Amino acid sequence: MSPAERRFPALLVALACLFPFVYLAALSVAESWRFPDLTPQGFRPGRWLTALTGSAGLGRSFAISCAISLTVAVIATPTGFLASKFMAAHRRRRLLLFLAYAPFVMSPAVIAVCLMFVYLKLGLGGGVAGVIAAQIIFSLAFAMVFFNGFWSPRVKAMEDLVYTLGGNRWQAYREALLPAARGMLLICFFQAFLISWFQYALTMMIGAGKVQTLPLKVYDYVNEANMFYAAMASLLLALPPALLLWLNKRFVFKQG
Amino acid sequence: MLLEVCGLKKGFGDEPVLRGVDFTLAREETLSVLGRSGCGKTTLLKIIAGLETADAGALRFNGRDLAATPPQARGFVYLYQEPLLLPHLDLRGNLAFGLKLRKRPRPEIETRVGELAERLGLTDHMDKAPHQLSGGQKQRAAFGRALAVRPALLLLDEPFSKLDVAIRAEMQRLFKETAAAYGIPSLFVTHDLKEAILMSDRIALLRDGVMKTYNRKRDFIDDPDTGVLREVAFWEGLRSQSHEPSGTAD
Repeated sequence: MSPAERRFPALLVALACLFPFVYLAALSVAESWRFPDLTPQGFRPGRWLTALTGSAGLGRSFAISCAISLTVAVIATPTGFLASKFMAAHRRRRLLLFLAYAPFVMSPAVIAVCLMFVYLKLGLGGGVAGVIAAQIIFSLAFAMVFFNGFWSPRVKAMEDLVYTLGGNRWQAYREALLPAARGMLLICFFQAFLISWFQYALTMMIGAGKVQTLPLKVYDYVNEANMFYAAMASLLLALPPALLLWLNKRFVFKQG
Repeated sequence: MLLEVCGLKKGFGDEPVLRGVDFTLAREETLSVLGRSGCGKTTLLKIIAGLETADAGALRFNGRDLAATPPQARGFVYLYQEPLLLPHLDLRGNLAFGLKLRKRPRPEIETRVGELAERLGLTDHMDKAPHQLSGGQKQRAAFGRALAVRPALLLLDEPFSKLDVAIRAEMQRLFKETAAAYGIPSLFVTHDLKEAILMSDRIALLRDGVMKTYNRKRDFIDDPDTGVLREVAFWEGLRSQSHEPSGTAD
């Protein structure tokens, strides 16, 4: 197979991946787009400005979604790293690992219903703080399970080595454990962000519809059959994951 | 005595590993601890390093009780079977690692690292990443990293067991020369009979959680429990067999 022939399937895959983005971008600026036309009837790029800054509040939803997901990832990643270390050294490691899987056994909607009463009592219902606290349950559980494999006897030996060479606990983390876990920390951060980013049911129920994140907006527009706004919200929803995918490729997979 | 270990006991669950270990180590002395895999050699070293706690017994270094001393304050460096070089540092960074942890001044770090690299034959590889080094070079680097901090005691946990025969012999020679040059006392744990005899000034046998120390190598060799006599008999038997006529020709 010649290089040109080899490039063809790769090009097809790339086009298939890019197509949804191109289609959504075209739909978001289309004046109207009726079946069976292959192209929109006119363009209205100004709709983006209206949607982001106007009463539709897409810009605000994007900002809230970013803030929630970044907070969740920033809290869940280091906490999960430390908790998994504790878990790995615990004599009931298997039981703790089993419990860490628990949030994934039930649907987020069921968990949200179970948590609702507690959240209302704590005054966390219908607010961003409550949504963050609820989403952390999933991201933290993911981080704990994810890092469980990191704490091998070799890593423990590395930590002990720092102590016998004269280092303290902080130096063990800074000089040995964190650099060794750098790639995993980055992947976990991205994954925790994404788990939170696409969360719908939990945000809907704990946020009581008041915390309007992007997934909620997408569903709202789809329900309203407002395909132009749904396309805009979907594009915004796809933006950070695409960015993270690129960052992953550039900074994580490059390490090996 | 430099190190005194008295009645050290350790168990994991219902399984006793060390049942009362006693021995002493003099200044600049190397004591080999011979024992089968799983006999508690590593546990013993970890307790001395401060990485494990003993259930009973006492540890004294220079007459000072070590019970409340954390590993970083003991000054004992533990050398593992694996070199455990830090993958994000080059060889220079790995050699300097302990000194940087101890926040030594930069000129001192550079002098000591340079001197050790030369002694260990690593000067040409200083900018290489650990994965670019051979097994022997990695183990030399780990040894250099330990020596750089001028440890009060070296604890060696079968450090050459994963090396091939030729590199292992080279490392054994290098260890003996360097430990003698720096006057560093050491506990050398191994399950290899020959290595135990070669590496040390004295030998101890750890079996069933109890340690028996031999003040003279002759005593160790003559004790039927150590397995040296069986080993000698095996090789002599092999030699006498090879001297017998080997079958008839067609």
